[in-house]
Amino acid sequence: MQAKSTGGHLTTDEQATPFELEVARLIVEQLHLETDPAAIDPVAPLFGEGLGLDSIDALEMSLAISKTYGVTLRSDDPRNKEIFASLRGLAGFIAASRAG
Amino acid sequence: MTTAWTEARERGSAWLLGAMVAIVRHLGWHAGQALLYPITLWFYATSPGARAASRAYLGRVLGRPARARDVARHMFTFACVILDRVFFLSGRVAGYEVRVQGVEAVTDIINSGRGCIMLGAHLGSFDVLRAQGRNSPVQVHPVMFRLNSGALTRLLERLAPDLSRDVIELGAPDAMLRVQECIERGEIVGLLADRAPASDRMVEVPFLGAPAGFPAGPFVLAAIIGAPVVLCFGIRLGPRRYLVRFEPFAPRIALRRGQRQEDLRGWIELYRTRLKTACRAYPFNWFNFYPFWREVPDG
Repeated sequence: MQAKSTGGHLTTDEQATPFELEVARLIVEQLHLETDPAAIDPVAPLFGEGLGLDSIDALEMSLAISKTYGVTLRSDDPRNKEIFASLRGLAGFIAASRAG
Repeated sequence: MTTAWTEARERGSAWLLGAMVAIVRHLGWHAGQALLYPITLWFYATSPGARAASRAYLGRVLGRPARARDVARHMFTFACVILDRVFFLSGRVAGYEVRVQGVEAVTDIINSGRGCIMLGAHLGSFDVLRAQGRNSPVQVHPVMFRLNSGALTRLLERLAPDLSRDVIELGAPDAMLRVQECIERGEIVGLLADRAPASDRMVEVPFLGAPAGFPAGPFVLAAIIGAPVVLCFGIRLGPRRYLVRFEPFAPRIALRRGQRQEDLRGWIELYRTRLKTACRAYPFNWFNFYPFWREVPDG
């Protein structure tokens, strides 16, 4: 799969938490992105704009998340909009699902 | 996704379909069919882009320069298929003869409790396939890009509320999660693999004598999910006569680490070869009325 550029959407000053950084590393590694995980803005969109992922990337990402954290993303989850909105949304969902 | 790009494609067929639905609802198939002549003439006269695309394709597939009557026949076949969509979607198929060929390619997989990915093309009728899916023991989910096809979509939804429910809509990040969930339940997911939204990754391979871009998405998806892949074409043979043809493609698509691009190209070339065979057998069933081939300078 081809690597994607970040398109230079690194404009906010939000700092990623250690867990968000861990999830970012997983995404970058799994999707072979040419992006520094630490440079991913935790509140920027992952899909379309921002990091520029597509729905096939989402599937690959979800398989990796399931393998690593035992947490399954589902297409019928009403929270999906929030989960897929940003690294923060995604990491928050993983953390909450593992705890619950 | 670029709106203009999609809309330009859908505009012609949305207009036609709107007229068709109104006519056949009140007057039946024969009246609709008779009106296809003036409608085709109108489409021919007002669509220079479609004419040029048709001529380019037909010249390649027929192996000789396409004449005006070839282009007209091509557009007429397209109009016929649009008319028939109305009947397939609304389930009024009594007057139709639909031959099914090679269905074991699918039933063998389904009977073993597994799901499968079905790849088609803009060749013939997508809706004869959807209508055929009504006979399937498991749900059939077409993956479609409906975002920008406003008028067309609304019409079709009204005709086929039962089929509409099973559509997996492209656009949302979780669309492919749904594909995987359907496959896990042993269901069928269908994609057209000859055209993609403008943003999709394309792989260029020779097709009918010149390089053409095919979307990587369907093949990458099949590789991630690891499901068996079957080809399926719904060919119009003549007035109210169709052939639904299934062909085995791959027990699974594997993209080896370090050789992803090469493997991906190999699978796309295989699909291209099978599509080419179908195009040569049924040349007037190809409905990509836009410049399919990369511009190659003469000489």
